[in-house]
Amino acid sequence: MTSSTAVPSADIIRTVTEVVAEILGRPVDGLSPDADLRGVEGADSIKVVRIIAKIEQAFDIELEDEEIFGVNTIGEVVALVEKATARERA
Amino acid sequence: MSAPARDAVPLPWAGRADHHCFGCAPAPANPRGLALTFEQTGDRLGTAFVLDHHYESYPGVVHGGILGLICDETMGNLVVMRLGFPALTTSMRTRYLGVVAVGRRYRCVAEATEATGGANGLITARAEVLDEHGAPVATATAHYQPHQHAVEA
Repeated sequence: MTSSTAVPSADIIRTVTEVVAEILGRPVDGLSPDADLRGVEGADSIKVVRIIAKIEQAFDIELEDEEIFGVNTIGEVVALVEKATARERA
Repeated sequence: MSAPARDAVPLPWAGRADHHCFGCAPAPANPRGLALTFEQTGDRLGTAFVLDHHYESYPGVVHGGILGLICDETMGNLVVMRLGFPALTTSMRTRYLGVVAVGRRYRCVAEATEATGGANGLITARAEVLDEHGAPVATATAHYQPHQHAVEA
């Protein structure tokens, strides 16, 4: 995925949710935007960093540590990705 | 250090008497180096490695700086092979996803994300280090500046 064009929010939400589901071994349908990443069964701090790394690859972006260690929910990760993709386009 | 890959890709300076690269020179040329060898799969370049206690941080844990070096070496050689001449690392960012154990086999795979260089002339690449099960344990992104005369003829 390139960062030269705007990524629709729906695509970001879907991709982030799919990555979270894959890394945590949970069904996509069971994850909502307000799901607490660290509260999902099977989650730990290393898996959360793996989620972030996979998302960075998927969107070809770099997220800052001070940003990612402050997020708790899938919705907050989506907001970070939107901010980062906008930053890359600027 | 690891045994050379059977289908190892020859690097441009292979065979030079002054090839002492810490990452990729053969062991006789640099006994302290990693002697990495590389295989090409499509557009990607990869290297398999097993590191011993000489490259340790905490007991039993591979030093993170060595992993960064391997990522840089793999991405850098990918870029060099594309260009046909050297490129210098201008910046690299590494994300560590878990512990890398001494004595275990890992693989680093690199690909160029902006293979031709952008407006600033930089080439962007990324790499990931995978464990024996294919799970990522580190990722890296880096920029390279082509530099045709970085190596003496």
